[in-house]
Amino acid sequence: MARLIRYYGKKRGHRRTGSPTLGGVGEAAFFAAFLLLGVGGFAWLFSTFVLPEWRVNHEFVPSTCKVLDKSIIEKPDKEGTLYGPVLKIEYSVADAKGPVQAESHYDVHEAYSSSQDGAKAILDKFQIYTARNKCVYPCWYDPADTRLVVLTQGYGWWIWLWFTVPVSFIVIGAGGLIYALLRLGKSVERRAAIARRARGRRFLQPADGAASYPFVPQGADMTNSPGTKLKFRLPMAGAAGWALFGMLMFCLAWNGAVGVLLVVAIRGHVAGHADWPLTLFVIPFLAAGLWAIVHFLRRLFVAAGIGPTRLEISDHPLRPGRTYQLFLSQSGRLRMKTLRVSLVCEEVATYRQGTNARSETREVYRHELFRQDDFEVSGQPFETGIAMSVPKGAMHSFSAAHNDITWTLVVEGEAIGWRNYRRPFSVMVHPAGEGAP
Amino acid sequence: MSDEPTVVILLEGESRIHRPGDTLAGEYWIESIDAEQVKAIEASVLWHTEGKGDEDMAVHEFWRRHADQGPFDSRHPQRFSTVLPNSPLSYDGQIVKLRWCVRVRALLHRGKDIVSEKAFRLGDVPPAKLHGD
Repeated sequence: MARLIRYYGKKRGHRRTGSPTLGGVGEAAFFAAFLLLGVGGFAWLFSTFVLPEWRVNHEFVPSTCKVLDKSIIEKPDKEGTLYGPVLKIEYSVADAKGPVQAESHYDVHEAYSSSQDGAKAILDKFQIYTARNKCVYPCWYDPADTRLVVLTQGYGWWIWLWFTVPVSFIVIGAGGLIYALLRLGKSVERRAAIARRARGRRFLQPADGAASYPFVPQGADMTNSPGTKLKFRLPMAGAAGWALFGMLMFCLAWNGAVGVLLVVAIRGHVAGHADWPLTLFVIPFLAAGLWAIVHFLRRLFVAAGIGPTRLEISDHPLRPGRTYQLFLSQSGRLRMKTLRVSLVCEEVATYRQGTNARSETREVYRHELFRQDDFEVSGQPFETGIAMSVPKGAMHSFSAAHNDITWTLVVEGEAIGWRNYRRPFSVMVHPAGEGAP
Repeated sequence: MSDEPTVVILLEGESRIHRPGDTLAGEYWIESIDAEQVKAIEASVLWHTEGKGDEDMAVHEFWRRHADQGPFDSRHPQRFSTVLPNSPLSYDGQIVKLRWCVRVRALLHRGKDIVSEKAFRLGDVPPAKLHGD
């Protein structure tokens, strides 16, 4: 069916999609505005700061001058008073009948500073011309306006720092505009094909997949550590150490901020002028901070108290329909109620809801490979071998920008005196391929 | 026959299920249209996701014919053929679904386009709900 430009999108699932054409035009307009702002800012900076300095260095006529008087002038500013040096000088101008007298503000930008010391330091470089002190100084005047004269040349380095702002706008604006224009008027399939070619691959691969299995993660991390009993030692998914570190940082930041308020509130009570609104305000934040500390300590005790779990595998990546050997080792001093190992497949969908990116995970396969109840781990680690089969016809691991299919070996333990723990070890399942059963 | 222009896609072979490495071949044409109305025709073999997450899409093979490159009559069948990749396989999950299709898009003058798809399956992965203990 023929379609014109949609002003609003069609319904897709429980969400509406926008009009790609209008979206593209809006995107181009947004980046064009960025580019214009950048170009405008660049032009203003150039004409205000760079061009005058360039003229001083290349077009102003050199001469010599006598300093007749010097003073500091004040100029009110939003942030206070600015101070500028003023030197009354006498200098010779080509084709003039006699010497010219004018007031110079030292440099072409008039060298205002926020302190008198800055202006004074400039003035101190010059001595007033007298009969006994006949000192003269180089100066440069504008041939177009001979009364515009400066006592210094060169370029100010600080000007170039200012250019980073409009240049950033230009880079972002131009890059975004080119990107938007390249996309505009092109079908989604053509854009995808262009992106694929740009990556120089036969197939677009956002995951670390080899060319033979597009969009299937290769899982290089799972094969770079040899095992002691079997071929590979699997790394634990999701770095528990970093999670603990993040929790610690949160505790410190939260309780640090609450601590400051708490000190202020307590001081008020001690001094006899209690600030009850502040005290009542602090209490819930203090409670949340204490809860965070307790939660962190419990996680820390679980991580430190329950010894490391080691899982090794006979081969990797996995293939549907094939059988593999696992080796499980659980260290620590534990009275275990249950220890389980399961093979789990999950679908992970990421979607945008308003301005937030949300993620939903759905377990679609779980098979318990091993379970042992009521046993003790003391001194020597608990070790066991486990046979595992990937179901025939199982979906392979898949990774794209918003959708994933993941396979995980999950070790779950219930130890007396400890919170239940769960340690996942990611594995990659590849398509059955040639030679598969 | 309707007066509305329609893109027709035919795939060779009776099976809609293809294995990785198979050659997918077929042809497409447009019915009920004047040849000069069509600015360009794009044919793609692609996969895309459906379900809870935002859509992911990637093109495996892409062909484009444009009027600027030489006259063509979109009413005459145009053949295509490609070797299918090893992955990703078609999948009917609970919140992630992966669909393969041949999509033909005819871009008409004045900004209109006509799109048609012919779905096929790559691989024979059963629906997710059949898994599990």
